[in-house]
Amino acid sequence: MPVSAQPPGQDASAPGSIEIAGVSKRYGNAEVLSNVSLGIDPGSFVTLLGPSGCGKTTLLRLIAGFIESDGGRIRIDGRDMTGLAPQQRPIGMVFQNLALFPHFSVAENVAYGLKLRRLEAREIASKVERFLDLVDLAGLGDRRISQLSGGQKQRVALARSLVLEPSILLLDEPLSALDLQLRKQLQVGLKDIQKALRTTFVFVTHDQEEATLMSDKVVVMSAGRIQQAGAPHDIYVSPENLFVAKFIGDLNEIPARIAAVSDGRMALESALGHIEVPRAAARGFEPVQGKACSLCLRPEMLEAKPASALPAGGAVQVKAQVVDRFAVAGATRLLLTCGEQRLSTVAMTHAAAYLPAPGEICQVSFDPGHVQVFEPLGADMAKAFGERA
Amino acid sequence: MITQEKSSPGTVLLILPVLVLLVLFFGSVIHLFSNGFYDDGEFSTRYFRQIVNRSDYHMVFLRTVVSSLVVAVLSVVLAYPIALLLWRADRWRNTLLIVVLVPWLVSLVVRTYGWIVLLGPRGVINEFLAWLGIIESPVKLMFNDLGIIIGLTHVLVPFAVISILASLLEIESNLEEASGILGASAFQTFRHIVWPLSLPGAFTALMVIYLACIGAIVTPILLGGMTHNFVGSQIYQEVMYTFNMSKAAAWSICLLGLSFVSLLLLKSIERRLLKGRN
Repeated sequence: MPVSAQPPGQDASAPGSIEIAGVSKRYGNAEVLSNVSLGIDPGSFVTLLGPSGCGKTTLLRLIAGFIESDGGRIRIDGRDMTGLAPQQRPIGMVFQNLALFPHFSVAENVAYGLKLRRLEAREIASKVERFLDLVDLAGLGDRRISQLSGGQKQRVALARSLVLEPSILLLDEPLSALDLQLRKQLQVGLKDIQKALRTTFVFVTHDQEEATLMSDKVVVMSAGRIQQAGAPHDIYVSPENLFVAKFIGDLNEIPARIAAVSDGRMALESALGHIEVPRAAARGFEPVQGKACSLCLRPEMLEAKPASALPAGGAVQVKAQVVDRFAVAGATRLLLTCGEQRLSTVAMTHAAAYLPAPGEICQVSFDPGHVQVFEPLGADMAKAFGERA
Repeated sequence: MITQEKSSPGTVLLILPVLVLLVLFFGSVIHLFSNGFYDDGEFSTRYFRQIVNRSDYHMVFLRTVVSSLVVAVLSVVLAYPIALLLWRADRWRNTLLIVVLVPWLVSLVVRTYGWIVLLGPRGVINEFLAWLGIIESPVKLMFNDLGIIIGLTHVLVPFAVISILASLLEIESNLEEASGILGASAFQTFRHIVWPLSLPGAFTALMVIYLACIGAIVTPILLGGMTHNFVGSQIYQEVMYTFNMSKAAAWSICLLGLSFVSLLLLKSIERRLLKGRN
């Protein structure tokens, strides 16, 4: 699958590459990671995304060397890391709580790793200055950690790791404690720094928006497994299973049953009526007549039309009632019901747009080619959405 | 409308204990001073002059200060590894803490008598060393400064353990991991991160133990004997045996002054030691 937005021709032994092959980790009876394999290209920004408890932080700590895997291998820059302590690995890490040294000043925090490497005082001073400048903290070197704002602390943690010029930087939800405005600002800043240094960033988050915004490659994890890895847009457009489809972006999920399967086509029975879709709409499973499944449509694939509109060629059209209407930053979102089934649509707001009021009867139209059909979620994954399978 | 701002009988009742405390505290201090500066019904600085002039009394003060410092340092040195162990022992921490604190359930006097059994001329240690043939005649382990230091240290080590442990537990959980991934060995992490961050607790322990020691009475009496007085045991003697309240008061005032000056000195050392921290 063509996933990453990396320039081709980079091999696994270049500085900054990570090869994870068949890694597993158990704590007692709980399997936290099962047989995880993943390749990370040098200089890329990769996000491990998933709900809490999906194993993303465990995977990060395995890469860092704080814990040992029960099976499989991790290679960094082509070198097997088995048995190597964190200090022997070419990595830096930014912790969720930042773990800044409270008894050091800002500059002393950044200089710590350089002093351990016994660099000359002059070289340390110039590097500290350069990296404080890089993270926009020039002139704050003498401050105590307790005198800094949340965003400034964040950047000290970043500078402290980056000053050692690791080929890989691991970031464990470093933005989760900040408020939205600051977070957006730092997301952009982080991405800029990553691009400038060409360091491989492995970023852990549970925020799908953050992940899609920043990453070259998103790795969606759930229940100790990688559900899908790829460029954010590819994952959004062609999710491999229902978990990924629901976790990334909004989704209309309609319970359905496969009524008939033939060469190249299949028929689905659902609250939207009887719909024929290409057989290839079935993702990650073999369609069998009578099987329960989920019929999925992204909100932007649904178009609201006046009740009197005639169906366009090939489009499916069903009658619905408007429940609510929201205008959100240039787009209009409609909440509809079609029988018992709730649907949401989103479209750009413009002068000619059809904007039905709540209570109005309208038609919902979509191209059956945009329908994606998935197997229902297993119990372990449904939990992430607060559902029961 | 009912306003809660006005002083109700309840508020007055709350002030009462504070008043009682103030009256008792300042009353006794005033009483102490009037006793110390009066002898036979008239103003006198006789006992203060005595303290200033008699070299055996100088020894009592010197012994109190030096022994207390030794006990404070020794307690912190002994307690530090114990505190580290407790800090590391995640699951067993509470159990081990109970083991450290159990001696406190036994009365101080009983514990000190325990030391007499161990340290006495015919005590367990001397008998054992004689049995091994290491010594010919008993070594003097008590009725001297050594006995007092051993006894006080034993009593005060748990204080130090708790104080140091408290400051270790305040260290954010992954500072050590952060130090490690920045390239520090386990020893470097201890030296640059854990040790400096545990210093406030260690210094607090040092201060509290020193102050507890210079006021000690029971242990110096039982393990120091009549010849090795602390300021506290000297006062006890003046009150209980010679009934010279004026002299006892003069000594008490000097002890109060000693504590006060010590506290100021220790606090200024602490400030310098932890300079620039919050």
